[in-house]
Amino acid sequence: MKPLTLNKTRFAAGALALFALSLPAQAYLPFVDDDDDEEEEESKEVPEEEKDQYLLVHNADIHTGAGEVLRGASLLSKNGKIAEIGYDLEVPGRDFFTEIPEEERDFRLRTIDAQGMRVYPGIVVISSSGLTGTGGDFRDSINPFSQNMVLGLAAGITTTGSGRAAVKLKRYVEQEPPLPYDFDGVVLSESTYASVSYTSSSARRSAREKFARAAEYLREYRAWQTLVKKDKELKEPDKKGVDSTTLEILQGAVFARFRASERDDLLNIAMLAQEYNFRPIIEGCREGWTVADDLGRAGAMAIITPRERRDKDERLVREGGSSIENAAILSKAGVQVAVVPQSKGVSLDGIVGRDIMHLPVEVGFAIRGGLSDDLAMASITTVPARMMGIGHRVGTLEIGKDADLIVTDGDLLHYQTFVQYTVIDGQLVYDKQQELYFSHIRPRAEAEPKVELAPEEVLDAGENPDEDGDEGEEHTDGDDDEGGEGDDD
Amino acid sequence: MILNTLLMAASPLLAPVPAVPDVMAVKVGRAETVSDGSIPNAVILIEDGKISVVGEDLPIDSGIPVIDLGPDSIAMPGLVNCYSRQGLDSRGPNDSRPGTRASDEVYPAYRDYVELLEAGITTLGLYPAGNGIPGRAVAIRPQGDTADEMIVADDAYLKILLRSNSGSKKMIRDGFKEADEYKEEVVKAKEKWEKAKEKWDKEKKKKEEDRDKKVSDPGPFTPPEPKPEAKAFQELRDGELKALISISTAADYLHLVDAVGEEEFEWDLRIPVNRNLDIFHVKRQIGELGVRVVMEPTTSLHPNTRRLRNLPAELSESGAKLVLVPRSDSLSNQQGWRRDTAELVWAGLDRETAIRAMTLEPAELLGLGDRLGSLSAGKDANILFFTADPFEPGTKIHAVMLEGKVVHGEIR
Repeated sequence: MKPLTLNKTRFAAGALALFALSLPAQAYLPFVDDDDDEEEEESKEVPEEEKDQYLLVHNADIHTGAGEVLRGASLLSKNGKIAEIGYDLEVPGRDFFTEIPEEERDFRLRTIDAQGMRVYPGIVVISSSGLTGTGGDFRDSINPFSQNMVLGLAAGITTTGSGRAAVKLKRYVEQEPPLPYDFDGVVLSESTYASVSYTSSSARRSAREKFARAAEYLREYRAWQTLVKKDKELKEPDKKGVDSTTLEILQGAVFARFRASERDDLLNIAMLAQEYNFRPIIEGCREGWTVADDLGRAGAMAIITPRERRDKDERLVREGGSSIENAAILSKAGVQVAVVPQSKGVSLDGIVGRDIMHLPVEVGFAIRGGLSDDLAMASITTVPARMMGIGHRVGTLEIGKDADLIVTDGDLLHYQTFVQYTVIDGQLVYDKQQELYFSHIRPRAEAEPKVELAPEEVLDAGENPDEDGDEGEEHTDGDDDEGGEGDDD
Repeated sequence: MILNTLLMAASPLLAPVPAVPDVMAVKVGRAETVSDGSIPNAVILIEDGKISVVGEDLPIDSGIPVIDLGPDSIAMPGLVNCYSRQGLDSRGPNDSRPGTRASDEVYPAYRDYVELLEAGITTLGLYPAGNGIPGRAVAIRPQGDTADEMIVADDAYLKILLRSNSGSKKMIRDGFKEADEYKEEVVKAKEKWEKAKEKWDKEKKKKEEDRDKKVSDPGPFTPPEPKPEAKAFQELRDGELKALISISTAADYLHLVDAVGEEEFEWDLRIPVNRNLDIFHVKRQIGELGVRVVMEPTTSLHPNTRRLRNLPAELSESGAKLVLVPRSDSLSNQQGWRRDTAELVWAGLDRETAIRAMTLEPAELLGLGDRLGSLSAGKDANILFFTADPFEPGTKIHAVMLEGKVVHGEIR
């Protein structure tokens, strides 16, 4: 099936080449974007920064996250956005451009052969710590070389909520010739949510006051909007005492995020949300499964940790405590669920598998509790993206969205699966075989492990993969010798 | 007096002979000139505290005292430690104070200066303490009774500390903004002055009695006094001052490039070497810029591994100009500077680069490349004499010469 597709592509390329040869040189038009009506100018030298950048992932099973799975398909990104997904794509550099030496082309093309692999949208995690910068201003504090960022990419994470911002794990990529680092692409959104406290009685009172005043103002304002058309002199309603954040929540500009786990608190939030008609995000939501219908009716969304364990309060007769079915039950009731692991950072000690690097494993426990595979995927892609108000850019693989994707060697939610490549904004930022961390575990067959750790002169303890090979040879020699000795005996 | 006359008659090499020339020739087995490579059987002619000529087997006129240190002896330029707080305390502000000068802090009575000289350090670059933009460095000789006697050159470089955060980046951008604003201010002041001048010129043509009393002579144009930030950053732009920017990670470098933007000025880098330094990520970019990098002579580990990296050597090979400084300001580290550098040479750093990194390159950084840092004609006679290879363990300094005077050891 796959070789056939390849042949077809070649055939198409050949035909195009023939067609192109019959045209004068300046009429070479890139066939990639039919909708893109850029007039190709005759300019000889295009500066590196202005060259169109293409990335092609081909021969993969593409899980778009938007419903369909395309087997043996390809994905082409142009300048960081997904340009095409499907079969027999027109790819510059794989048609008549093949005749033009790479350095003379007015574009850059990078290809990933994902034969036998799967492509998923990059994982979006609703909150994490330590994967990007240190300070609040992530544009100016990001560390594009940090170990944690690489480990995050190795886990397939491409976007994370960090504080109130949504940040991409934009690693600095060494390329020839070098391009400047895209600082402006780091932060997707500065404020992704508004935090509301609603678990203590005093917090509830103050929150209710804010909501009441903001709702009153909003009513007055809307009335004024219609009345002012008749009476131009009419004054705008007084904004005094209106909490601007609460107003934004009611206007739908930003989601309110609550932190609550107990049944009574959850019900209170659901009532508040119904009364003021907004969609709450509830972090924790441990006993959500006991009041799932109420939360569903209130349009709530939940951020949960499926492996959370807490017994119910023994003094109460009603159901309570944690449940592995929480995600499944909430989803059935219409509550959109996002999943986070117990530890939000990368932790390389302690109990393995509870940190941010094991997000897919955590989701696996939600599946164990009855959540469907599709919703499980959504809980680490589309749902968190929607919660942060960045769903129009990340979370699924669709034309026009950011080219943030991962290539895996199996089902993403399987414990054995490794992320082989991670792509952010159409740039390859992680390749398992090129990194220190997992290159030695089930290495890709076609790729020679060539981790460049330190230059040649450096003293080495014999851990270098190349030297491993040498050692291996020596080993066989040794075995031979032993064999020889055996013969002698 | 007779000797002097003799000398004058017998020295065709010394073209303009001063009244009382203080001349001396030293013969060494090898001279590491730094600027002109290694010269075997070198003769160094020293006159009035300056090197007047260096060459292989130069004929020496009779009458000039000649000191032959033997075939195993080696001479090299005095060491220049361009990045130090030796003799100064370490508290400083965190904000932008580019007007501050380390020269105001110089403390001649500091006890360790003698020992620094004995360790071969003949020039020190002292920087002002603090984070942010702490101010301007000064180049001193570690000898003298007053600060003025010690100072070789002031405003050697402007120290800037850049870290990956918005405040730090803003400090650089704001500095240039201040300079822009000052420029506008000057233009406005000039316009105002021109108007006043025009008015005065008109008034001047009238007779004394008819003149408007309110109009007076504005005098010559004096530009308004700039703020220290504006002044320093304008000097950077004009090339009168250079910056030494301290960064600690590869990320800092990218943020620096982002903060500097289109602005053009001369800057070098200070990169403290710590155990997990990751600067190799950007070594190619730094190398292509060809800036100086001020580093300690120490190897580090590839992050999260046990693999040694010789980052000073790597950066030097990438094209950066390496400047080495002692591992810290402690006396033992200053004394062990040569030994530490030798270890780096053993770990792969080019030997000539290493010597250059302790002498001429730091001298250039201090803006004293034409006065110090190499054994060549016209430079200050800051010379170290050894009886064996200075990079061999255990080699002690035989003698130290500071501006023609032997300040440690003896040469006979």
